[in-house]
Amino acid sequence: MEYAQAIFTNSAIYIIATMGLAIFTGYTGLFSLGHAAFMAIGGYAAAILTYFFGWPLLPALVISVIASVLVSFAIGYPTLRVKLRSDYFAIATLGFGEAVRVLFENLPLTQGARGLPGIEKLAGPLNTAFLMVITIWLCRNFLRSNYGRKIIAIGQDPVAAEMIGIKLLPNQMLSLAISAAFAGLSGGLLAHYITFIQPSIFNMDLSSLITAGVVCGGMGSLTGPFVAIALFIVIPELFRGLALWRLVLYGVLLVVIINFRPKGLFGHEEINFKNAPKLFWITGLTVGLTVATSFFNGYSNYWGRLPALGVAALLGLAVTFGANYLGKGIIWVLGRVNPPVGGFFHRISEGLYLRLKSALTPVKRQERWAVKSNGRITAATAGQPVLDVNGLTKRFGGVVAVNDLSFCVYPGEIHGLIGPNGSGKTTVFNLISGVYPVSGGGIKFNGDLITGKAPTAIVLGGISRTFQNIRLFGNMTVLQNVQTALHTTSDYTLTEAFLQWPWGVRPTEERLYQESLKLLEEVGLADLKDRVANTLPYGLQRKLEIARALALNPGLLLLDEPAAGMNPKESLDLVDLIRYIHKSRGITIILIEHHMDVVMSICDRLTVLNFGSKIAEGTPNDIQNNPLVLEAYLGDKVEYAAAS
Amino acid sequence: MILQTIITGLSIGSIYALMAVGYSLVFSVLNFSNFAHGAVITLGAYVAWAVMTQFFHMPFLPALIVSMLGAGVIAFLVERIAYSTLRHRRAPSLYLMISAMGVAIALQNVLYATIGANLYALPPVFTKDSIQLGTAVISRMDIFAFVFSIIAIALLTVVLNYTKVGTAIRAASHDSEMVSVLGVNLDMLVAVLFLLAGSLGGMAGVFMGVKYMVYPSMGWITNKAYIGAVIGGLGSLPGAVVGGILLGLLESIVSVTVIGGVHLSTYRDVFSFGILALLLIVRPTGLFGRYVEEKL
Repeated sequence: MEYAQAIFTNSAIYIIATMGLAIFTGYTGLFSLGHAAFMAIGGYAAAILTYFFGWPLLPALVISVIASVLVSFAIGYPTLRVKLRSDYFAIATLGFGEAVRVLFENLPLTQGARGLPGIEKLAGPLNTAFLMVITIWLCRNFLRSNYGRKIIAIGQDPVAAEMIGIKLLPNQMLSLAISAAFAGLSGGLLAHYITFIQPSIFNMDLSSLITAGVVCGGMGSLTGPFVAIALFIVIPELFRGLALWRLVLYGVLLVVIINFRPKGLFGHEEINFKNAPKLFWITGLTVGLTVATSFFNGYSNYWGRLPALGVAALLGLAVTFGANYLGKGIIWVLGRVNPPVGGFFHRISEGLYLRLKSALTPVKRQERWAVKSNGRITAATAGQPVLDVNGLTKRFGGVVAVNDLSFCVYPGEIHGLIGPNGSGKTTVFNLISGVYPVSGGGIKFNGDLITGKAPTAIVLGGISRTFQNIRLFGNMTVLQNVQTALHTTSDYTLTEAFLQWPWGVRPTEERLYQESLKLLEEVGLADLKDRVANTLPYGLQRKLEIARALALNPGLLLLDEPAAGMNPKESLDLVDLIRYIHKSRGITIILIEHHMDVVMSICDRLTVLNFGSKIAEGTPNDIQNNPLVLEAYLGDKVEYAAAS
Repeated sequence: MILQTIITGLSIGSIYALMAVGYSLVFSVLNFSNFAHGAVITLGAYVAWAVMTQFFHMPFLPALIVSMLGAGVIAFLVERIAYSTLRHRRAPSLYLMISAMGVAIALQNVLYATIGANLYALPPVFTKDSIQLGTAVISRMDIFAFVFSIIAIALLTVVLNYTKVGTAIRAASHDSEMVSVLGVNLDMLVAVLFLLAGSLGGMAGVFMGVKYMVYPSMGWITNKAYIGAVIGGLGSLPGAVVGGILLGLLESIVSVTVIGGVHLSTYRDVFSFGILALLLIVRPTGLFGRYVEEKL
């Protein structure tokens, strides 16, 4: 019994650290190979406080969380600021982990490599389990909030996230800090459970164990890593003598899973009714193997090796399949029970919520929303251009992609930007939205110079865009894509998010839901709101991108080849949509497009680029008859083409 | 004293360079950091230990060749087992890196589980190792390692620049897809790549084994070599050589430095990782690296 308790407590401690790392590595896709260092910091901080100063456990754990978070800022700010490649980041965290370990080996306070023996045993199965449940609850709440969505968005496509105004650095640092906090908590508990810590406990193997849990469980899931790390702790305990082979097993599992199930056990999903059978297969197999080996060990001496092996194998198989069918049975029963029972509780909570709704939504917040929903007033006074591009130049090494380009876009206009392939149209968009720094010239938006501003600042200032190669948050649902883009109008605090505070989170989330639904209706995707974005057909993905861009309530919308890859019917449909948006919202649009019928039918004016320079500007009619344009598109033998 | 420090630095630096070249070779074509390289190097050292002390009792030079071959074959097998599926699926380089980490963890712990955590010494190469040069005492092995490493890297350069395979590898480092369209068998090319990287790693492993000891976690040292490769700019061979040697020199200088009564040698590793962190922040492309901007 004590043995089982020990395994349970150990698992719970590692699960706490793994849940934290799932928030960081699982959702941002950045690998930390140094999370043991945060555990070490937490462990030593708490141990020193209880050991030398006689603090009780809880305040000591609070300090270890704070210490880890502070250190995570110190390591996160410089490394995340420069947007390191993922493998560089991994090696940097590995270095961090080693550095912390060496430091603890040489500090007098930590008693060097000898470690701290005789820490009071303050952590046991009960309080550890309690903290584990709290950890999971907090992580789940966080992920379901606006803050969590921002981090998930960054993990799926950092560029697209920036282009809807999500700043990378603070959000990645937040997610690192959360993971560090839970690692610190886990370290503090570990110290007070095993009662003896030394720097070598917190080595790279520990870091890679937690990372392996996240990867094998499924990046983008909380329950997946939970199961994986529990198995990693439990399986070796079940097989005596496996201890040395345990790490071999992690390694092999990592290779096998990344090769054959790159999304881990549960992918980016949480455990649900559909994928639960997997869980039963895994547990069934584990238990089956355990039963088989212990049977074999017990009876091989009496029955001889071969018969014992045979019976053991049969027994193992029986247990495996038995567990599997038992699991199926449980799912069946739950599936029967869940709709009425779950529905009952849901109705009660909904009823309560609806009754309390007005009380739950603070008046101040309602007033703020009222102001926000007025939307951005396009400040352009008549005659002043919305966008004033002046002498814009971009060089990539020796290549001049955009050369001394000047044009103006006036309020309420649909302005076309056309030109042959490689003429620099998309580069112009990237310069306007701040993705590339300009090499020369300036861009003014509503009279303010925006060159040199951060991309997120430009987006939040009122210019949003779509991409030539669609960049949606592929694993999110259609609705979530738009909800994420509404992040600027969310107004609850991080603490409220962690607690799913009913007076803050629920009313705001409900409003975001309604607003996203409205936006989806605008582009005609409301019926598909629960589809996963990358399962949508191409044309609809483009529409979703437009809805996401509109969620930022822009004054100027940049559409990069919205009709690319569409058939004539779809592109006609798109023309209607652009017209509708333009009219109903009164926004200004710049459109890059190759479908000339689209361009000619909806643009008020066109700017034509060739080799990065402007060769013509005017109404569609002017452009169609401009010899320079014809030459650019059809080559310099226009005379023949025109003659024949 | 100064001469001694420099020779030690050059010797360890050249071993770093041998390993760093392996990282850079793989990175230049496959664009991922092969974190399993350390395990390959460790296994190379164990091969030498096995053939020198357990079986055959080979002398040093044949043992070196055997372990180079062994490490090369192991690297090739690792590629076949752990990377080729991902490579064919065009998985993101992050996946390859995770797979490499898995291989590293597995191989290192196979050693723990089978041969054990004991430290083994390789038989000394020279009966009388030290040379007196003025006041400096210089190890023959250090000079030997330095000279041999430089020769090996020079040979590699010749292979890369003057043979058909080498040309193909260099071409693939610019655009591996284009190279395969032009009719080069990319699987073959990658196999050669890993053989080369592995055998240089095996050599480094043997030198490490002679200089220090042979033990399962000796592959940890490749983290330093990786830092060397990053200093020089991942993917660049001259970069890896210069970066590795530079790091070796800096480390050996730090090791003998005493500031305010504190011997910095205990903080040598912190120093190396500090350099790495600083470099990644200031100049992530290293000294010779190239920077590729993502197209939107």
